[in-house]
Amino acid sequence: MQGWFSGLTLARKQAVWAWVFLAVPLAFFTLVRFWPALDAFALSLSRWNLVGPRKYVGLANYERMAADPVFWQVLGNTFEYLLLGLPASLLLAFLVAFHLDRIQTGQGLLRALYFLPHLTTATAMAWVWRWFYQPPPVGLLNAWLTALGFAQQPFLRSTTQALPAVLVPAIWAALGFQVVIFMAGLKAIPRSYYEAAEIDGAGSWQILREITLPLLLPSLVFLFITTSIGLLRIFDLVYNITAGGEGGPLNATKPLVLSIYQSAFGRMDMGYASAQTVVLFVILLALSLLQMRLLRSRP
Amino acid sequence: MASVTLRGIRKDFGRTQVIKGIDLAIEDKEFVVFVGPSGCGKSTLLRLIAGLEDATAGDILIGGRTVNTVAPKDRNIAMVFQNYALYPPMTVARNLGFGLRAARLPAAEIDRRVNEAAAMLGLETLLARRPGELSGGQRQRVAMGRALVRDPQVFLFDEPLSNLDAQLRNQVRTEIKKLHQQIRTTAIYVTHDQVEAMTLADRIVLLRDGRIEQVGTPTDLFERPANRFVAGFIGSPAMNFFPARLDGAEIVLPWMRLPCPPFATAPTDGRITLGIRPEDFLAGTDTHAVPEACRFEAQVGVVEPMGSESLLVINAAGTDIQVRLIGRAFPQTGSTLGFAVNPAELHVFDAATGNTLRR
Ligand SMILES: Nc1ncnc2c1ncn2[C@@H]1O[C@H](COP(=O)(O)OP(=O)(O)OP(=O)(O)O)[C@@H](O)[C@H]1O
Ligand SMILES: [Mg+2]
Repeated sequence: MQGWFSGLTLARKQAVWAWVFLAVPLAFFTLVRFWPALDAFALSLSRWNLVGPRKYVGLANYERMAADPVFWQVLGNTFEYLLLGLPASLLLAFLVAFHLDRIQTGQGLLRALYFLPHLTTATAMAWVWRWFYQPPPVGLLNAWLTALGFAQQPFLRSTTQALPAVLVPAIWAALGFQVVIFMAGLKAIPRSYYEAAEIDGAGSWQILREITLPLLLPSLVFLFITTSIGLLRIFDLVYNITAGGEGGPLNATKPLVLSIYQSAFGRMDMGYASAQTVVLFVILLALSLLQMRLLRSRP
Repeated sequence: MASVTLRGIRKDFGRTQVIKGIDLAIEDKEFVVFVGPSGCGKSTLLRLIAGLEDATAGDILIGGRTVNTVAPKDRNIAMVFQNYALYPPMTVARNLGFGLRAARLPAAEIDRRVNEAAAMLGLETLLARRPGELSGGQRQRVAMGRALVRDPQVFLFDEPLSNLDAQLRNQVRTEIKKLHQQIRTTAIYVTHDQVEAMTLADRIVLLRDGRIEQVGTPTDLFERPANRFVAGFIGSPAMNFFPARLDGAEIVLPWMRLPCPPFATAPTDGRITLGIRPEDFLAGTDTHAVPEACRFEAQVGVVEPMGSESLLVINAAGTDIQVRLIGRAFPQTGSTLGFAVNPAELHVFDAATGNTLRR
């Protein structure tokens, strides 16, 4: 052993040591992450209640899913979170970062304030917002609406307003992180581009469209993907903000992950939960592949 | 085409004074170079003219019009930046046309002017590329082209050659000079390289620490430096300086007494700094051309042969002297040899103030 190792070149020795160190986390990861994940595929073809024996049922879980109106509603909700939340969230973050980048005094403090919600636990935040949305006299928002002479709103109790109402704190929570990423991207653009454009007489719209946004593309793609994944996996906020963790009136706010959770740990239907997990996995995988494509095709 | 006039220009960044009062008149069609050591305020002065910075005090006139409150785009200037500032996502053609698009010119006119500038700079084959796909020299030319298409009244250059290697720099320098002779637009060019300044300038403005040390043609600055700083900055290798004393009509050095040039006025205390350029020494039989009093003996310390010339460090009475000899022959290290000073090329400065004593 000693002789074998000392016979290697320096580069090989370093490689051997690197593999020795990497093997430990790799084994751990395989055990606690990859294996259960792979097992989920097998599980999605079975029926299992967590304690009894596993029974192979073929594609029965998927057939059941396709025929389940609640599944389709939940999938629709998930994409509604994505399609409403993504543009709103990125636009808002860009506007904040863009203007924050222009001010000199208090920039650090303001950025820290925007970042703060990112450090808060979703559960605590959910409960605070849940209180905001309560009907009067408890709810803050309705109290304000009344004070300003507007009609009261049902918010979480309405099938149409509940989902956007859940989305607002989700966007607010993600804002800090996105602002920080956007600001880093903006700061990386050399000042001389703006100065050259100023001398060239470009208006702010031309500068934004032809210089700032193209140079911000890497940050934009990164946030596009991370935000999408975050929205597609939305769970703890919904679970805590809706009464009893049920997913809103008539499942109005229920996202896919909450549905998976309920199938698995509410009804002990591990096979059905796994089948839904596989669907989510496929969506996330497609999105990640899209990201790699977008980043690579960049000039 | 326009003149540029600076009147009492001052610029502070917070509490630091960077430009400390500058008056300067640049004529129409002139090529003026701002030169000086790093941090002397060259870029700041250029950016003030461009309108990228606001002057703390004073007036800037372009073409006779005060432009203090005029936006950069309305000053009718074009600027070439040190890092070129080419917009990375755009092709060369779109980079060149950026300013014209901003001015909302018709597309046909933009195309015509872009192609014209591209032809002038030999960029025709590069129009479809992006800046990332160009070499340093090509980028530099695109940056020049972008300035050219705007057909400005004044060109501003901020160290446009500093990112190029030495060989390319010489080549592009020549191109810039040719270009200026062709289009004859007023140009202000910033550099810290005195060779660039000497070769390009109609007039050099030598700056130090936010003030003008001397303004003049390259020949003026080389032959009649106003003070010791200018004398030391212009010329390479740099001028030798020796502490000396004025005794009647003679300059007293530790190893010789030289006849004082007639154009010098005596300082009050007689203490002077004598400046002699390395190329104003003679050696061997060449020394017979000058009067006896200008000759001295020295030991040859270091010899650096450079082909058509050689650089020596010689030692006379304990003082090291830089000497440049033209010609292929060069003396042996360690030998003692006769040298002489060309008496017509002495520079005499007041030891206390550093100012020239030339009348
Ligand atoms: N925006 C600024 N804020 C504060 N100080 C500045 C600013 N810009 C320049 N300075 C200071 O002004 C002085 C002159 O700067 P400037 O860039 O004009 O020098 P320069 O002559 O162009 O030097 P270099 O040859 O290194 O480019 C420097 O001491 C610099 O630190
Ligand atoms: Mg500079």
